[in-house]
Amino acid sequence: MKVKASYLPYLLILPAFAYLMFFVGYPLIQALYLAFTENGAFSLATVNRTISDPRFWDALKYTIGLAAVIVPTQVGLALVLALVMNRAFKGKDLALYALIIPLTISDVAAGLIWYAMLSPSGFLNKLFLNIGLINNPVYFFGYQFRHMEFLAIVLAELWRATAIVFVIILAGLQMISPEYLEAAEVFGADYWTKLRKIVIPLLKPSIQSALIIRTLFAMQVFGIVWILAGRDIPILAGEGFYQLTEIKDYGVASIYALTIAALSIVLGAMYIKFMKAEYLEVKE
Amino acid sequence: MNRKAKIVGLLVFVLLGAIVSGCIGGEKTTTPTTSEQPTTTEQPKEAVKLIWLSTQLNPPEERAFVQEELLSEFKKETGIDVDFIPISYSDMATRLEAEEKAGKVTIDLIGDLHGGLDYFNSKGWLMDLSGMPKLEGRTFITTFEKYATIGGKKVYVPWMSATYVMVINKKAFDYLPDGLTKEDVIKGTDKWTYDAFLAWAKKLKEATGKPQVGFPAGPKGLFVRFLHGYIYPSFTGYQAKAFDSPEAVTMWNYLKELWPYVNPASTTWDAMAEPLLRGEVLIAWDHTARIKNAIETSPDQFVVVPVPRGPKGRGFILVVAGLAIPKGAPHPEEAWKLIDYLTRPETQVKVLEKVGFFPTVKEASGVLPEGPLKILAEGVAAQSATPDAVVAMIPNLGAKGGEFKDIYRTAFERIVLKGEDPAAVTKELKPKLIALFEEQGVEVP
Repeated sequence: MKVKASYLPYLLILPAFAYLMFFVGYPLIQALYLAFTENGAFSLATVNRTISDPRFWDALKYTIGLAAVIVPTQVGLALVLALVMNRAFKGKDLALYALIIPLTISDVAAGLIWYAMLSPSGFLNKLFLNIGLINNPVYFFGYQFRHMEFLAIVLAELWRATAIVFVIILAGLQMISPEYLEAAEVFGADYWTKLRKIVIPLLKPSIQSALIIRTLFAMQVFGIVWILAGRDIPILAGEGFYQLTEIKDYGVASIYALTIAALSIVLGAMYIKFMKAEYLEVKE
Repeated sequence: MNRKAKIVGLLVFVLLGAIVSGCIGGEKTTTPTTSEQPTTTEQPKEAVKLIWLSTQLNPPEERAFVQEELLSEFKKETGIDVDFIPISYSDMATRLEAEEKAGKVTIDLIGDLHGGLDYFNSKGWLMDLSGMPKLEGRTFITTFEKYATIGGKKVYVPWMSATYVMVINKKAFDYLPDGLTKEDVIKGTDKWTYDAFLAWAKKLKEATGKPQVGFPAGPKGLFVRFLHGYIYPSFTGYQAKAFDSPEAVTMWNYLKELWPYVNPASTTWDAMAEPLLRGEVLIAWDHTARIKNAIETSPDQFVVVPVPRGPKGRGFILVVAGLAIPKGAPHPEEAWKLIDYLTRPETQVKVLEKVGFFPTVKEASGVLPEGPLKILAEGVAAQSATPDAVVAMIPNLGAKGGEFKDIYRTAFERIVLKGEDPAAVTKELKPKLIALFEEQGVEVP
């Protein structure tokens, strides 16, 4: 029997497709059902219940706000780090390992580490008190100090998750053929010109992947916020979890989950649309 | 190429088949097991196997303790096998209802909280235990005994209890306000009031420069129990009935006044053992199980005391779990033997040591060895014994329990943290609160 070559691609993606249908498609349909039906009929009651709760809007605001602060900072930081690490120097391997270690730590563990460091009797406060920089401990936690909690979350996320962006960008940097840079040097380009005209454009595919990955994770942020700020800083995943486990309102919890999914899809699509990769060879 | 494609195709289908059959098979088997399948107990006399359903001691380590330590010893003593089935409240209610309605009861013994048993009794599903032989060598604490008898019927035998208490780091006694002594606090006298507590908290902050009071007001913390079961009854006499009364407004204003002396990180804490041990607070309130660790780690540093009193008395929550026998249960005599075994002072002390639930019989405290558990047990006993006690039971709202808590949590956030007007907020939230009780057919406490 001859299997036509044209079927082969479909056959090859079938396992992945089946996997996605079962583990993503089916729960998604379940969530839609929970969110938009009541007693078996279509209803917007759950949606109204969700959007009339100011916490939903707070959660949306904070989730996007955290991502807006964290993701660009991470990309900038990772770019600088990658440029530094992309040259040969003594102790490079060690520095590389040190940079990547936080990546192996779970977000809850990272949250606990930073909680211990920043608490009034923690390491940072003790250090600053002892060297006389401050007279009273700086409070990072509690409803009254939400802006400080926000800062603590940003610090912890930068520490923990910049490494993933860094790894992707470093890999992208290493793929850039030195010939381009040498050619630019022949024409007398300085470091900044090379960076602007060659390195960054060629890095776009890597930056795009890093941005997509980081933004999607930022939409789902949970452990770190839950540990550092409880529900003082509401976020979508945290409020969804709260609705599910405490209130036992599965419909509202589904809407939180669907909001995260919708945000991820929209943002992902935007990155793909507005950050078209450029290849020097095919550029007209 | 041809062959390869065939193999790939075959592999894909095998994989798919495995996934599909796995999921369908999985779903089919999970649903009916819990609701049906009466286990084969109707065997000839000699091999009795008791079926014990319990909503308590469900976490894996507690379950292991019941099966490996408690029940194996019971079997050694009596030769009776017990099948311990940890179960959620709603599953237990469904199963019991189905069995009672079908007239074919397989459950021998039920372990649940007071609220659940009260409800089962109101449905007429539980046996009257007053005709059973006397349980020798133990005196049940009167408060518990009183609650276990509903409308003249002995519905359950008090099994275990838990409560929420205050823990004081002994250093805090150096800063007592005028008119309050260490004795007052430890014994829970008339002078140990919420006003005295406020004065103490204030003095502590002034003297140490830091707020020294802590509450578990994090997302998984139990601070909401303090609101509805402690401070509300202390100020208004009720948990929910007087939710928007002038007394309640006074209470909220009190909390607002207290909050500057409470460690602000309280809103991120789920349990108080860690903050106490780290020295972040000197006074804390929490569930006994959640502060046990602090007292076990440094028993010399802490003392457990009754909560303060308010204008209407000393409100506190008693969590009581009881053991009941369903009507028409297959082996009531054997089940009674198990009840006898579980409420013996020695067994009760074992339960306290291993899982941190408190005894319901007076003799158990006498058997307790000196040490951290005694500190805890004494604090709990002192609180239960205060003459001005306003005992609150956690209302049994089933699946609506989360919404109940959310209302108090919302009120707290809006009034104390965001500074909204207490009269307006409580007025707005009260109808929702009352509706919860009406929906469930539970009297408003």
